[in-house]
Amino acid sequence: MIHVGLWLPLLAGLVLLIMPGLGRGFAIASAAISLGISLVLFAGYGGQGVAYASQTPFLPEAGVYYALGLDGAGLLLWIAVSLVVLLGVWIADVPVRFLAYTLMMQTGLLGIFAAQDLIFFYFFFEATLIPSLLMLWFYGGADRLRAIYTFALFTLVGSLPMLAAIFAVRFLGGADSFLYTDLAANPLTGQTASLAFLGFMVALAVKTPLFPLHAWLPSFHQQNHPSGLADAMGTLYKVGIFAFFKWAIPLMPDGLREWQGLLLFLAAFGAIYAAWVAFSAPDWKTLLAYAGVSHMGVAALGLFSGNGEGTVGALYLLGASMVYGSAMFLFIGLVYKRTGSLETSPVRGLAKHAPALYVLGMFLLMAMIGLPGLSGFPGELMALLGAYKVSPWLTFVAFLAVIAAAAYALTAFQKLFQENTQAQAVPDLDTREWGFAAVTVAVLLLMGLYPKLFTLYLEPLGKALAALFGGAS
Amino acid sequence: MQETLFLPLIIALPLLGFVILGLSGKRIGEPAAGWLASLLVLGSFLLGLVLLLQGGARWTLAEWLPGIPFSLNLDNLSGVMLMVVAGVGFLIHVWAIGYMHGDPGYSRFFSYFNLFIAAMLVLILGDSLPVVFIGWEGVGLASYLLIGFWYQERVNADSARKAFIVNRIGDLGFLLAMGLLWSMFGTLSISELVEKVEAGGYSFTTLTLAGFFLLIGAIGKSAQVPLTVWLPDAMAGPTPVSALIHAATMVTAGVYLLVRHAFILHGDGFLAGLIVTVGLLTAFYGALCSLGQWDIKRIVAYTTLSQLGFMFVAVGVGAYWVAIFHIVTHAFFKALMFMTSGSVIHALGGEQDVRQMGGMRKYLPATHLHGLVATFASGGLVPLAGFWSKDAILAYSFEFGPWLWVLMLGASVLAALYSIRWYVLVFWGEYRGRSPSGRTNAHAPGGKAHPHESPAVMLWPNHILMGGALGVGFMGLPYVIDYKNFIEPYLTKAIGDFPHEKLPVVTEWVLIIISAVVAIAALWWGFRFFQQQMPAWYERFQTAALQGFYADAVYNALLVNPAKGLAELLFVGDKGLLTGFAGLGSLMGGLGGLLAKLETGALRFYLAGLLLALVLLLGWGVLR
Repeated sequence: MIHVGLWLPLLAGLVLLIMPGLGRGFAIASAAISLGISLVLFAGYGGQGVAYASQTPFLPEAGVYYALGLDGAGLLLWIAVSLVVLLGVWIADVPVRFLAYTLMMQTGLLGIFAAQDLIFFYFFFEATLIPSLLMLWFYGGADRLRAIYTFALFTLVGSLPMLAAIFAVRFLGGADSFLYTDLAANPLTGQTASLAFLGFMVALAVKTPLFPLHAWLPSFHQQNHPSGLADAMGTLYKVGIFAFFKWAIPLMPDGLREWQGLLLFLAAFGAIYAAWVAFSAPDWKTLLAYAGVSHMGVAALGLFSGNGEGTVGALYLLGASMVYGSAMFLFIGLVYKRTGSLETSPVRGLAKHAPALYVLGMFLLMAMIGLPGLSGFPGELMALLGAYKVSPWLTFVAFLAVIAAAAYALTAFQKLFQENTQAQAVPDLDTREWGFAAVTVAVLLLMGLYPKLFTLYLEPLGKALAALFGGAS
Repeated sequence: MQETLFLPLIIALPLLGFVILGLSGKRIGEPAAGWLASLLVLGSFLLGLVLLLQGGARWTLAEWLPGIPFSLNLDNLSGVMLMVVAGVGFLIHVWAIGYMHGDPGYSRFFSYFNLFIAAMLVLILGDSLPVVFIGWEGVGLASYLLIGFWYQERVNADSARKAFIVNRIGDLGFLLAMGLLWSMFGTLSISELVEKVEAGGYSFTTLTLAGFFLLIGAIGKSAQVPLTVWLPDAMAGPTPVSALIHAATMVTAGVYLLVRHAFILHGDGFLAGLIVTVGLLTAFYGALCSLGQWDIKRIVAYTTLSQLGFMFVAVGVGAYWVAIFHIVTHAFFKALMFMTSGSVIHALGGEQDVRQMGGMRKYLPATHLHGLVATFASGGLVPLAGFWSKDAILAYSFEFGPWLWVLMLGASVLAALYSIRWYVLVFWGEYRGRSPSGRTNAHAPGGKAHPHESPAVMLWPNHILMGGALGVGFMGLPYVIDYKNFIEPYLTKAIGDFPHEKLPVVTEWVLIIISAVVAIAALWWGFRFFQQQMPAWYERFQTAALQGFYADAVYNALLVNPAKGLAELLFVGDKGLLTGFAGLGSLMGGLGGLLAKLETGALRFYLAGLLLALVLLLGWGVLR
């Protein structure tokens, strides 16, 4: 099942490339099946360890195995990715080829979360870049070349040290293979660990994104297709937190010990810095880009605290932000469809003619700024509880962002929907958009009101990481 | 205490109203939507009353987040708050059925109103801090939605946003308090925290810090100095909102939070001094500002600030039950004052400027009676509700230090003055009205104003509130009066008994008589004074007070504008960051050159190469 779940989207994407006549319905069907599979996998999960594990020798001499498996975090993120892909192909008005790239990218993302072999992880981590670049290449804005250049440069240059570190981890650690179980049983220690960790750090900071390596993100979002689909997929591609949690920290706990101070500082500073910058964002995509950096700063602060609460908070916030962050981009796509512009400053007063759109936007906005009862809050709270134990001051700095978030989000929202004096006549949600709205709001509420559904499976992971990292809590 | 599913049902009822009215309120229409909302709140009230009479209740959902249960607790303290919120809340709901008549957003209004009640009940009943915080932010959201209820006008939307943002400063304090308490005790359940704090074995300085963080939260929610600025602007919402949220209930949540955590605050000299200072400053600031306002709702809003300051002083001097007692009496007389104001606004077709009022006692006899009682209760006239709770605060202040008693007596003189000023300008003298100002109000008939008395649906809630403003004070009589004080032992059972030295009988009597006489004198003097032409010194004072002593201007200059400026600067700087990386690349010589070549065509080449390599790798693996 896990293999089908992983490769089906790629296959469907390739079929769709060859036979574009199959259209959106085909993409939706594929995405729905994917979501169904991930839910079945979730329902069948026992609650402990890596489930659905399988390994086939791939290059046995080199110690590379095609090994898959899902733990609690992997499952949460599989569901998040599959859900967002379904929402995206359901709602975004894009050419069929665009949908095909989306499906292909889904396989890459699922692979990142399911890979139990470091080489395969690296493969998925890098390969996902290709559909993402293709979307930007074919459907991006006028200034897309610079955005592609920046994005590719940050990602590829960042990955080189990680590749080196991957070999270091295997061969200096003395593991027999690149399998997670082997590597984790032979963690690097001391100076080597801190150097190898640095290699991972650069690559993963780009994909977290962590200040100051977030610099590629604004232009990436600004230049992508206004439907928001590529942005939603880009949001899913922010897998840095997961990779730190799954690979970097367990394989090199000493590395986190060495770099913890710096990482906590960058996370906390990035959280408030990005939220502050977002206030000046001239358009919604830039605003959401910085908002995302800010949220990931909070998540990273939780993870780098190295304790159970912080880890659970980071992973939950990652999963939640994949959903509300992506949905927010898709939502802005709906706004663009109506107004033809993404600027934040003009007064549009859309609420008057599109009250349902307004309510959907309100839900998303409140989830984004961490209103309790919606999906953003449980992760933020747990990250706070973890981080406060380790560094109260940095926690204070990072959580200044809750004030800044209210400022940037509500200000832009007010211009878009309220002050009706110059109300723009736009259509309200149509049937297809109602479907999107209903599912989105239901998930925001579910994740906000009943977080235990997922934290139950995240908690053992947090405890394991805390035990591994030790000391700090 | 029983474990019962009826407890969450108290919250579920208004929440259900929010959902139903939110989804299909338009179809339910007027006035059914309003009655549905009101009856659901009444249901919460009755259910709460029954459970309270059975000795309270608890409900726990084993775990909500790792280590954090979702638990509710109905004890005497949360019970009293529940009675106020659902009871007064019900009356204001009913009143709003009349007041909101004809508004295009009628059912939306009641949907939000029910959301507020549900969130407020979560805040009150929550037994674990994250649960309290859900309610805490929930009422903030409801407040935001209702202040900006008529968001078509920019000023309303701005006020709503301002309230939310300023409140978030307080919320940060709440969040940090949770972080600190979690790191100290490993639990956020309030009942467990009580035990752990009692057990000792921690640093008292750290506990002080926890209290300080909670205080920041309370200051934000209760609009104390220095976070007062959002409350006056919050009057942009419909009048029932001002009465319910920004007078009777939500703004007292900060006081409730502190009282709930009395076990953290008590005996801490630093926190006591700080809370008293904050309360005193707010009591005076609110009172002085109120004396300079022309907008009838802003007059009352600032009086609320002042009364909240009284409650903070009560908490600071350790008179926790008194703080709650004052919340109760205040809920009655301030809701009455607001709704009386609303009835006047209603009668005048949306007019809010008191200079266009006057003489209302002739046109609105019933409303006049309500206004009179509200004035006397708020001004501290013997033996109305406001007198007894204020008197208890004064007595405790005297124990804290006679100087504090003197200051608080000064603040109560101002309270008498602003109450009577409101009364004189609205009800006394002759009607100075003109045609309606044409505000966004459904009642503006267009044409000349004919002040008309409110319908029964608005009068009856006020009758009941008037009864409360007259009578509820008698449940907390001072001990020197040989009659049972009901509320003190009732509340201390839940808050914890913090014994204090009672004042000697003679001293207490002297204090009571002084405060009674002073209130009467101030009311009488004010009654005469505010009928005259204002002297020049008052006009000068008024100019400053009208602007809230320029608090907004100072904040804009010192905080808001610099923050916005910095945001601009950072935005430009962040773009520069990318240029910086590009420069770094060039500096690295060969690498920079190589990377530059990747641009355009070369990048395509690179990608093709990457793809090819991946395919080869895969192929080798499969075919080998």
